[in-house]
This record gives sequence, C-alpha cells and structure tokens, in this order.
Amino acid sequence: MFNVKFADIGEGIHEGVVFKMHAIEGDKIEESEVLFSVETDKVTADITSPVSGEILKVNAKEGDEIFVGDTIIVIEDGSSEILSNMQMDGEETPSNTPMKAEGVEAESEKEEGGASVVGEIEVSSELIKSSDESHCEILNASTKKILATPVARKLAKDLGVDIQKLKGSGPAGRIMKADIHAASKEMSEVAKIEKTKEPVRKASIVKSNEEVIRIPMSMIRKAISENMVKSKFTIPHTVVMDEVDVTDLVAFRDGAKEMLLEEGHKLTYLSLIIKGVTIALKKHEILNSSLDEEKQEIVIKKFVNIGIAVDAPQGLMVPVIKRTDHLSVLEIAFAIKDLSSRAQEKKLKLDEIKGSTFTVTNYGAFGASFGVPIINHPDAAVLGIGLIVKKPVVVADEIVIRHMLPLSMSFDHRIVDGADAGRFMQTLKKLLMNTNLLLLN
Amino acid sequence: MLVLNLIEAITDALDVEMGLDDSIVVFGEDVGFEGGVFRATKGLQKKYGEKRCFDTVLAEASIIGSGIGMAINGLKPVVELQFSGFMFPGYNQIVTHAARMRNRSRGAYTVPMVIRMPYGAGVRALEHHSESLEVLFAHIAGLKVVIPSTPYDAKGLMIAAIRDPDPVIFLEPKRIYRAFKQEVPEDDYVIPIGKAKILKEGNDLTVVSWGAMVRDVQNAIAIIEKEGFSIEHIDLRTISPIDRETIIESVKKTGRFVVVHEAAQSFGPGAELITIVNEGAFLYLEAPPTRIASPDIIVPLPKGEHHYLVNKNTIKDELEKVLKY
Repeated sequence: MFNVKFADIGEGIHEGVVFKMHAIEGDKIEESEVLFSVETDKVTADITSPVSGEILKVNAKEGDEIFVGDTIIVIEDGSSEILSNMQMDGEETPSNTPMKAEGVEAESEKEEGGASVVGEIEVSSELIKSSDESHCEILNASTKKILATPVARKLAKDLGVDIQKLKGSGPAGRIMKADIHAASKEMSEVAKIEKTKEPVRKASIVKSNEEVIRIPMSMIRKAISENMVKSKFTIPHTVVMDEVDVTDLVAFRDGAKEMLLEEGHKLTYLSLIIKGVTIALKKHEILNSSLDEEKQEIVIKKFVNIGIAVDAPQGLMVPVIKRTDHLSVLEIAFAIKDLSSRAQEKKLKLDEIKGSTFTVTNYGAFGASFGVPIINHPDAAVLGIGLIVKKPVVVADEIVIRHMLPLSMSFDHRIVDGADAGRFMQTLKKLLMNTNLLLLN
Repeated sequence: MLVLNLIEAITDALDVEMGLDDSIVVFGEDVGFEGGVFRATKGLQKKYGEKRCFDTVLAEASIIGSGIGMAINGLKPVVELQFSGFMFPGYNQIVTHAARMRNRSRGAYTVPMVIRMPYGAGVRALEHHSESLEVLFAHIAGLKVVIPSTPYDAKGLMIAAIRDPDPVIFLEPKRIYRAFKQEVPEDDYVIPIGKAKILKEGNDLTVVSWGAMVRDVQNAIAIIEKEGFSIEHIDLRTISPIDRETIIESVKKTGRFVVVHEAAQSFGPGAELITIVNEGAFLYLEAPPTRIASPDIIVPLPKGEHHYLVNKNTIKDELEKVLKY
C-alpha cells in the first residue's frame, strides 16, 4: 500500500487547493501518470504517481483545500508494508485505521500508531502463539553424531570413506585422520584383491603345458559357479530319495506316443513328470516357496514356474516354463522342446531363464539313478529324475518286473521340513503311479 | 490473561512491578507526562505520581548518572533512552560507573538499575535511530544485556531485569513493538536472565536469533522446512551472559550452526556465538558456523533501508547453503 501525501512542492509551502483531480477510485494507475493538479500561492503543479497500482481511495476533490502531509490518495501497489512519499508524526495511516474499526478509542490509538517522532512502526493485532517456559515443539533427537574435526571430515570425503561407519581411535572415540587413512587403505586393498583375483589364479604353480590345459572361466561358467556356491552355502540342503512304480505310465506313454507322433507331438516322460510335480506343488505349497532372507519371511507363490536343467554346449542352463499350472501335458512337452533347443543355440531371452519356483533336473538321460541336486536359489527344492529301468519288485508277495523311476529331491530345510518333503513325494508318487489321476487333474 | 503487544507488555511489567515495589522509579525524556516517545510508560505518572514517574532534561549522561546515584542509595530506577543511538552521551556513565560499582566498592554497593532503549532498523527512521549496538554493552564486564522478541518474554524479562541487583541494559526491538499480540499473564512472573529459549526443535541445523529477527527467521524456516529439512530455532533472549550450554548442546545434535542478527557483521555478536560453537561443539560440525548479519555500513536512510536488513528470503538462501554444504 502506498500513501500519496501532499508534500512541500516548493519552498515553505504549507497548503494548496486541488485544481484538478485525475485519480478515480478503482482505476489503475501507472508510475509517473498525473494524479492531481494543485494550486498553491506560488505555483500550480501536477502531482504524479510515484508507484503503479490500483487507486484505493481519493481523499480530496476539486476545490478542496489540502495541507502538506495530508494523505490525498491511497494506492495498492502490492507491497506488504505501508509506504509513503513522506513521513509525518501523529498522522493517520491506514495501518491504524483498522484499530479504530475495532472500537478502540480513536484519539489515543491515533497517537500510538505513529507514536514516535520519527519512523513508521508496523501495527497489527495479529495474535501470535502463546508461550511459556516449558513450551517447545518436541521432536525426537536424531542419531548420535560422530566426533571428527573438519579436516578429518574433509579427508574422509576426499578419500570416499563413509565417516559415519568408522570407529574412532581418538579421545572419546573421535575419528582421527589415521582411522580414515586405515579405512581407505583397507578399501583399496579389497579392491586390489578383487581386481587381481584372476591373474593370481593364472599365476599359480602349474602353468599350461602339454599335460595341463588352463582355460579361463567363461562368463556363463562363472555365473554357474557363483550360483552353485551361493545356493550350497546359504541353503541347508536335505535330500529325500524314492523309487516310483511307473509301469502304468510307461504303458500309457507307449500307447499314446505313436498316435501323437502322427500329429507332430513328442510325448516325453519329463512332460508327464512336470505335470505331476505341478499338481503336487499346488497341494503342498511350501515346496513352491522361497525364503526372503532380508525380511525373514517365507514367500509362498500361488503360481508354478518350473525350471528345467538343460545341458547346453556353453554349460548348464535352466530355462523356465512359466505357469505350468495352466498348461496341458502336450503344452509342457512343447515348451520343453522349444526352450531346450533354444538353450542349445544360445537364443534364450533373459526373462526365460528367470523366475523359477521349482526346478527339475533329468540326469536319467545319462543313465544315472540317484543324485544330490543343488537347489536353484532361491527356490525351496529341486527334483532329480533318474533313468526308468525294469526292476524286480515285490507286489502282493510275488516278485514281478516293474518299471521303476528313481527320484531324488533336495529341499531347503530352513523352510521345508522332512515331513513336508515326504508328503510331497507321496503325492507325486501317487500321481505318477496312476496315470488317470495324473491326466484328470 | 491479557492480550498485549510487545510495548504494552513492557508497560504492564513496569506497572505490575511499581505496584509491588515502592522503590521503583521510572524516568527519561518525555517519559512522565507524554508516556515516552513510544508510549512505553503511558499512564504510569497518572497512576504512581510525579515522584515515581517523571520527565528529565534532554541529557542522557544526566539520566543515567542520576539513576546510578539513586540505585546506590536504595531506589530501583528504570530509565528510558529514546533510541539506543542516543546513548553515547550516557555511555561513559554506563561503562565507567554503572558496570563497575559492585567491583569498585568490593561488593558494598550494587546498581540495581534498568536502562531501557528501543533499538534496531526497519522503521524508516532518521540517522541515529536504527542501530543495533548490543555488543557495545555485552563487551563490558558488569553489564547484563537482554532483548525480548515477544510480549510474553518482554514482561517476564523486564520484571527479571528490575529485580536484578545489577545494571541491566534492556534493548527493545522497536520494529515489532506493535507488530503482533500475545497472551500475557496478568500477574508478575520472571523469565530468568541468561537463559535462551528453544523455540522449535530440529535435527539438521541450529539457528540462533533474537529481537525482531526472530520472526524473520521463523518465516525463513517455514519456507525451508518445506524442502524436508528440520531446523532447531533458538531465541537467545539474553545477549550477556550468553546461554552457552543450550547452544552447544543443540549444535552437538544438529552439527550445523547459523546466527542471524541485525547488528553489523564485523566484530558483531555472531562472532562471539561462532566462537562458542567452535569451543564447545567443534568435533560435531559438518559445515562452517555461519553468520547472517547486516553489512558493515551506517544504516541507510529510509529510501535505501530495504537493501540493508536481511529478510526471510535472504535468510532462507543462506540457511540452504549451510544445509547443503
């Protein structure tokens, strides 16, 4: 707000008469535009606006007698304070006008509003928050600060050492420059070892010659190695082994094989076993889970994605058949064929080797019976499938020849107990022994 | 509860204490009949008579000197100087006598006197009316220096100053004399001299201010806390003796320190506060202790005054630099 006052426009002018009033309340005015003309006993002068803004109030009309110091026009110029082109004491300003409106005795307030021989004091009835000696907005104290000199803090910053994580050796646990240098040295040594790991191995006792060939690990080999170490060292593996009488299944597959071949389908045991595994997993969900080590929570998955171990030229690959709980045996068979052939050609996409909830490995293809497979981290279990062979078994006190399928399952004993694994195996066995049950599910 | 602005709270404090203690006398230029240049003593002469509230000649040395004499002889004078910029003729009396009487007399005499003076810029005044001279008093041994920032504190500190057995320089931030009101208890109460107040707790930065700057700092903090920072704001309230403990403990917690004052930067109160922080919380600092102050120039006349004082935006910018150091 700006108060345009009638200032002394010449030497010793005290009063004048409004000759012409140009300002109209509500109008916009630009700086330097003429507000009004005044006639004094010495001159006639145009009074221009010192600011731009909106004219709020015009206190004089043409012919009025005005005195030096009178507020003639009030302009809203957007400023938060009340400004004026001259200062006077004991004057009425818009700042003390509202106090009159509140019914306070006009005379004394007028006096007090500008109560000083000089200057302008902000006047407001704004009520601020009450106060007392105990009052304070309480906020919980934050973490304890570490002790360190600014030079130590700078050193830590320059060397990339997180000073908050250091333990100080100085007085009262102060972090000394030596502590930071030590931490920095340690960091660089760790980095050096990591950097030189491979050369160290290469430079070990035996060098390549005719008797020993040294082959650097491929990326895939390294990944397999890391995954195996991670799985074997974090998951306490427990193995359960069993044999299943799959004579029925063999008969069924032999019967269906020819028929399906004509339509271009290849029915494999693996697809039938995966079907059985899927049904059993839906029944025993704990085998279809994983452990969230960080949050210490068991994550049970409501979908089944089966990883299949594939022997590819570059090394073990585990492509994943997604949502086997929504696939038929033939669809599973097709997926196995598709994924394993593309694994051979290194044409798998990244998302096709991720996201398994359970893994199946078919070492029976190489004639083996039992094994101790390593769990595909973070799955809860892996099923090893051996070679189906005819064996003499006792059925109803008679020795008969049956087709026997050896199964080995490793499971994560942190989340799966032996009894859970046993029940799962029982369900799986029942399904594989009764083909109708397997196919009707 | 009364609802008073800062100057009304001072009047109320004087009134309450004069009612309780007959030895209190109030005087200064225009203090009696007019009630003082800012009306701080309004109504007191009418209520307590011309012997307890009266006008003096226009002579600061005489006002303070006669006050010292009265104080030594059993009265409790509360004298007013119209502006702190006018105190220089009386400064000799303050430094060479008021501050030293207890020491000089080996404790036989004290000077229980309050010297009130409005101070500070931002009111578009003339020369000698806008200075912030707190260090000129705080540097002198034997003086206490008090600056309130709210009506509640003004009354409590004024009563404490009157009851103090030694001379207290009571600096009043005239810019906020009438800028806001606050609830103030009707009875007498004391806010201890030498105790700062934590207005708001926070974890990232400690800001110390006093007087009229408190409100500007509060406004700056309101802006910067929207960016997610947590600021601890301390109203110093007493410039001398400084409440070292409150400041040091706060900086130990936050690791950052800024002082905002209206006085000129060089050799100002901020320098002393930063030294206290360095002495007491050096090992906790994560950014340089910083002062936000007025430039080392004579306070400009009204036309240029807005260039002189820091405001919430300039304060906010400086706080941000320290927070992001």
